[in-house]
Amino acid sequence: MNPANLAPPPGPAGAAMPTLLVLPTGIGCELGGYAGDALPAARLLAAASGCLITHPNVMNGASLYWSDPRIHYVEGSSLDRLAAAELALRPVRRHRIGLLFDAGIEEELRQRHLQVADGCRATLGLEIGPVAITDQPLDVRLSLGASGVSWGELGQPAALLRAGQRLRDAGATAIAVVARFPDDPDSAALAAYRQGSGVDALAGAEAVISHLLSLELGVPCAHAPALSPLPLDPLLDPRAAGEELGHTFLACVLVGLNRAPALIPSGVPAAPGDLSIEAVGAIVAPASALGGSAVLSCAERGIPVIAVQNPCLLQVDAAALGLEVLPASSYSEAAGLVLALREGISPSALRRPLPSLAQGVGELVQQA
Amino acid sequence: MRLQPLLLQLERRPGPLRPQILAALREHGSPLRWAITAVHAPEAGPDAVVRLQVEAVVRV
Repeated sequence: MNPANLAPPPGPAGAAMPTLLVLPTGIGCELGGYAGDALPAARLLAAASGCLITHPNVMNGASLYWSDPRIHYVEGSSLDRLAAAELALRPVRRHRIGLLFDAGIEEELRQRHLQVADGCRATLGLEIGPVAITDQPLDVRLSLGASGVSWGELGQPAALLRAGQRLRDAGATAIAVVARFPDDPDSAALAAYRQGSGVDALAGAEAVISHLLSLELGVPCAHAPALSPLPLDPLLDPRAAGEELGHTFLACVLVGLNRAPALIPSGVPAAPGDLSIEAVGAIVAPASALGGSAVLSCAERGIPVIAVQNPCLLQVDAAALGLEVLPASSYSEAAGLVLALREGISPSALRRPLPSLAQGVGELVQQA
Repeated sequence: MRLQPLLLQLERRPGPLRPQILAALREHGSPLRWAITAVHAPEAGPDAVVRLQVEAVVRV
């Protein structure tokens, strides 16, 4: 990578350097494609940067979660809009989280979720409520795209938005959605996922639901699927184990939303502490999944793209797209690069060979 | 309103990629979620055309 093409990270050396971490949902990433199994990498990057902005797919481990004031929990479409300078993030002390249930959820399963929410109120002190149920079942369907990536469909998007609007009108400043997902306990795809070799088939539909609500209502949103309990799998992969601990996937969503930054559209006057794309010093993404909106927006702005070796279904890498990136062989190395940028150390000085400046003089003369 | 899955094959043009993709998606609806999921690059040559496979969901 030519360091001359890097935008200098904003702020003084050593100050927190807001960094985006993107792990696209439903593409089968070896690290980050399961039940919140990118959380250790996120914690490391938060320590290296002092300020990490990432999305629920990274942070949600069903019953497991980690709350770190340096990590900003931002739904994927809002993160894309932040990168495109369409909105800024405003840290909050806490939210009033509205709870939105799909009418397709059975009574007993809904009760399980309400008890999780009550547990989060009693044990963690979260502010949860009002509660709304959609006026018709949402009709969630799972599907894979041509590439094998998880997408998913939503039969009744207007019913989702009506319920979200009711919650926002009743004072909710963030929304946790629980939709009934189809049970398919005998499917080969589910077995592969639980044993650590498949795509999270639910992830695409989850992203569609939370993207739609966030875009239309302008408040932080995240989704938990409602599913019947699965039979014991003695071969369960540790990366999928977080989803086997309880009856719901809701606790992590409520904890994440509790302090998710408010979404401030561009054009609204900035307040002290607002985070905009101008403050972002780097974006970290899987090296073969660089074709998403946030990465392309950052690359167009000259924000360093740290491309981490993290195999997945896709082969959309820097060479294919013509992007200049800082390669990293692991998230540990990516954290080192983030720390270098934060401290004002040129990443090229950390690699060998280090080309002589004399090699570039001829190019400059020719360009002149 | 309904949500429509899309699969597009776009010819890559010079310049930033994101505006090209958004313009192509907006011909079908309002983009909700999208990604480039494959890049098909033939052997280099004067007429070589790079094609981007884009998977998306749009609102219509």
